[in-house]
Amino acid sequence: MKADILPPLAATVHVKPSGWRFGLRLWLPLFLLWLLLLPLVVLALPFLFIAALVFGIRFWSTIRAVLALLAAFRGTRVEVMDPNSRVFVNLH
Amino acid sequence: MNDNRRQILDMLAQGKLTADEAERLITALERGGAGATAMSETDKVKYLRVLVDTVDPLEGPTKVNVRVPMRLLRAGVRLTGVIPTRAREEVNAALRKEGIEFDINNVTPQNLEELIEQLRDLSVDVDNEHTKVRVFCE
Repeated sequence: MKADILPPLAATVHVKPSGWRFGLRLWLPLFLLWLLLLPLVVLALPFLFIAALVFGIRFWSTIRAVLALLAAFRGTRVEVMDPNSRVFVNLH
Repeated sequence: MNDNRRQILDMLAQGKLTADEAERLITALERGGAGATAMSETDKVKYLRVLVDTVDPLEGPTKVNVRVPMRLLRAGVRLTGVIPTRAREEVNAALRKEGIEFDINNVTPQNLEELIEQLRDLSVDVDNEHTKVRVFCE
């Protein structure tokens, strides 16, 4: 699988709530989340397929578009800072 | 004169390209891209950046720094391509009801690429006493 079609595999999160002397620096392994979700998605696929037929949605195109959307989140970075607190999220 | 430039000028002379298109292609060529007809990956706009600096007299300064991959925009547009026709009509009707004359059928990957290409040199700066907003592509 090419790297640019993989969903974010990890997230770096820095949080320093107001009033805390030190913040939290977290590295979240998102790939574990995808691994946990994978069996559920596989189980749901037949139902989604039927729903797509009923509502006239192109099933495989939709699956591809949703995967592309997930993959596109890689590289997203959000940082909000004020004098007392800070939140930083980076999706790798 | 290299082959690519001559080819562009030939196409312009034959009327296959407009002057604007030829200019854009030559500019792309001068930027040192891999090809004149297709923009190279490194030339593509990769991120939309939004920077906000506010200074609240009571709470102090706040900074927001957001980097959104352009791929997200492209993927979103691809997702609109799978919306069923009936739903598209409903979306268009809802937009019209709100006074927005916009046809969602016109949101295509080709149109988006043109838009992103135009965004390349765009930078929006909004300044007022307490807030500074900057939106640009990189």
